[in-house]
Amino acid sequence: MNLLAAYTDDGDRTVHGGPGNSPQTGHHHGAHERVRRGRLGEGNLAGLGHLLRFMLRRDRLWLPIWVIALSALTAYFANAIAVVMDSDSLQAMTAFSKNPVMALITGPGYGLDQVTIPRFIVGMYGVFLMIGAALMSILTVSRHTRAEEQTGRAELVRAGVTGRHTQLIAALALTVFMNLLLSAGMAAAFGFSQAEPDSWSATVLFTVGIGAVGCVFAAVTAVTVQLSAFARAASSMAGAVLALSFVLRGIGDMSHVSGGGSLDWLSWLSPLGWSQQTASFTLDRWWPLLYSVGLFAVLVVVAVVLQSRRDLGAGIVAERLGRSQAGPLLSTSFGLALRLQASSLIWWSMSMLVMGVVFGSFTGPMDEGAAGMPPEILSIMGGRSGVVDGYLGYMALYFAIIVAAYAVIAAGGLRSEESSFHTEPVLATAVSRAGWLASWAVVTLFGAGWLMAMAGLGEGVGAAMSMDDWSLLWPTLLGHLAQAPSIWALLGFAYLLYGFAPRLMSLSWIVFGASAVLALFGGLMQLDDAILDLSLFTHIGQYPAQDLSAEAVLWLVGIAVVLVGAGMVGFRRRDLVTA
Amino acid sequence: MSTLTGARRTDGSRASASAAISMREVVKSYGRVRALDGLDLEVARGEVHGFLGPNGAGKSTTIRILLGILRHNSGTVRLLGEDPWSKAVPLHRRLAYVPGDVELWPGLTGGEAIDLFARLRGGVDRRRRDELIERFDLDPRKKGRTYSKGNRQKVALISALASDVELLLLDEPTAGLDPLMEAVFQDCIREAKDAGRTVLLSSHILAQVEALADRVSIIRSGRIVETGTLSELRHLSRTTITVGLEHDVPALSETTGVHDLVREGSRLHFSADTAQLPRIMRALGEHDVESLTATPPTLEQLLLRHYGKEES
Repeated sequence: MNLLAAYTDDGDRTVHGGPGNSPQTGHHHGAHERVRRGRLGEGNLAGLGHLLRFMLRRDRLWLPIWVIALSALTAYFANAIAVVMDSDSLQAMTAFSKNPVMALITGPGYGLDQVTIPRFIVGMYGVFLMIGAALMSILTVSRHTRAEEQTGRAELVRAGVTGRHTQLIAALALTVFMNLLLSAGMAAAFGFSQAEPDSWSATVLFTVGIGAVGCVFAAVTAVTVQLSAFARAASSMAGAVLALSFVLRGIGDMSHVSGGGSLDWLSWLSPLGWSQQTASFTLDRWWPLLYSVGLFAVLVVVAVVLQSRRDLGAGIVAERLGRSQAGPLLSTSFGLALRLQASSLIWWSMSMLVMGVVFGSFTGPMDEGAAGMPPEILSIMGGRSGVVDGYLGYMALYFAIIVAAYAVIAAGGLRSEESSFHTEPVLATAVSRAGWLASWAVVTLFGAGWLMAMAGLGEGVGAAMSMDDWSLLWPTLLGHLAQAPSIWALLGFAYLLYGFAPRLMSLSWIVFGASAVLALFGGLMQLDDAILDLSLFTHIGQYPAQDLSAEAVLWLVGIAVVLVGAGMVGFRRRDLVTA
Repeated sequence: MSTLTGARRTDGSRASASAAISMREVVKSYGRVRALDGLDLEVARGEVHGFLGPNGAGKSTTIRILLGILRHNSGTVRLLGEDPWSKAVPLHRRLAYVPGDVELWPGLTGGEAIDLFARLRGGVDRRRRDELIERFDLDPRKKGRTYSKGNRQKVALISALASDVELLLLDEPTAGLDPLMEAVFQDCIREAKDAGRTVLLSSHILAQVEALADRVSIIRSGRIVETGTLSELRHLSRTTITVGLEHDVPALSETTGVHDLVREGSRLHFSADTAQLPRIMRALGEHDVESLTATPPTLEQLLLRHYGKEES
């Protein structure tokens, strides 16, 4: 039995290579095939085919949606850039190629000094498509492995004729297959786009690089799902590895474009870096992907070994123990609402601050590049003269829309609390309905204002540093903070729906979407002011480029207060959702 | 506190202001479905009241109306003398609730949840809380998502029992608890009763109700079909009797209160209305009874009688 196990441990490879070269090849093969069949039939991978088919059936929507959405995004980037950029504006973008902040966000920028449309797309958008593929892989693997164990469904599967590793390997096979489809779909989307890449092999190298990132993160997740007993924690760990990969290659690429930096090697520690280093349409090298293949193989082995060493449902990393008594915060419904939203608020705060700094630091290049900008884009930014104020004012709107998305999600949390039956025991204590809704609402209302302050602070600091002008800080902060009332009004609408018809809460996404589209593109589309005024975001004014309207601020605050109040009345009159 | 009047069935016309729970003709509909269909429920202060019924009979709906979480369509509801819908908050300071399916926040520890609920109710008796954690053998430092069903149940129970309240509303509170913990739970309920608290105990565990309840109400299809002490209920039901007799007793089939009479060899089997037992025994006394066994109705039979009504 041990001998068999020794054989089968590297079964797949031995069958095809290695000892097969001996004189009795045929005989040998036969023996190995038997062993291999034994392994698939009764061993650790029993039921692989069945399970894989089952997973494909479960994912009959999930798989095509991911593949088509990411391919469509590729098609959008490729066609939009090709249409928007003429050769002049493209040449103006070479200014970006030596910009360290740009390198931090996008990549090493191969070939941007002699830029073509395909090189620009690969250099600017490649990394975001890679992140998309990585997220797809992380969520898919976690959903078919740890999520199944956490819900107890895996126990039923494992109680059948399936092996210890079947579920993991099937999930990996599925995800690799998804990434292959994705590479093919993206190659077609890019190859047949207006960008008209001149080389199919470079196109395929680019999209295979994206698929390679997806495969590596599938393997990363295969390991993290062994570590934590909870699907969300496992996905978060893999997400943290993705973030680390992004930062490592960001620093390396920054060093690279600065010329003669000593930190270039950091890019080579990152799976994102490897795929970017293929430099398709410039150097066209395949060999960096060998690193991806190697890491994939190593991580899969690690995952299998870890899985052999743990019980079903258990993690390698034990859940940490928490406090045995509640802290003073957990004494009121407000404290509870704050506690439940704290971790999300902390993440959003950090993201807003970092995004603010990053976008703020574009102010300098924006000011320099204004000369070469297409006039349509320049006009949005307030024209050549006021481009700095215009940019900062526009970013206030931009962040208001991002934070409004936070607000709608956070307000939806109140409904999730109710539908997951957490609200019932709270209301069974001496907490009134109005009090509970108000507690939750106050956290989100202040949270939205706080996040705008974080974004404004980051934006102001970034702008001040890049322009070397600290007088920009205060107006930028004020301009961002002043957008908060439009988010509050949206929150008011969400709570109104919660109070009267919680099932309709997703309508607030429509108000959000319409308001955002009108505010962002209404000007470009030259829509009537009466239509633009329907947007929540068009009333306050993009300070410092435009004046702030105190009247609009008061109106929006008033609307928010009235709507939240009405929501409370509605909530007091309806039945609670119960089990 | 006045003496327990649990054994006596409260006069329907007299809405007793002193009752802990008083529901009259309560109707609750969800669309066309009538979850409660003219429900009457009376629980005196200081009593442990067993609340029995099949799944979907309306037990949880009744308790949620008492909590003011659901609003009834018609009828009157008084909880500790107040309207539970409009006076929800002040009433909730005086009661604690344990649902049958406790959902905890995944990121909060059990200890935090215990304290939170107790504080939101108006305060926690720290010493009592720690003692209960000890007795129920709970690790309060674990996160909500790591608890098994039984442990989540313990969290809600400890929080409820550690609060100084007048009324406990327990909706199948021990689902998922092991027998050892069941015993601890029964001790705690007896202590609560000794302390003068009122307990409404909805349960599926008949032994638990038999051990704890002063009175029992049986609900079926949104109506209370039986209320009383266990012995009263037994009185209303039938005793199973087996008699060893060589010859038939023709009079027996005519005697009121005798049902399902069958002969099996030298034995007669029948069920007897418990209230008619003296007369039946006299009828039998004139014959040469060789053996006799009488089995009083179990709560289970009581329930089956009511639950099974739909079929028969």
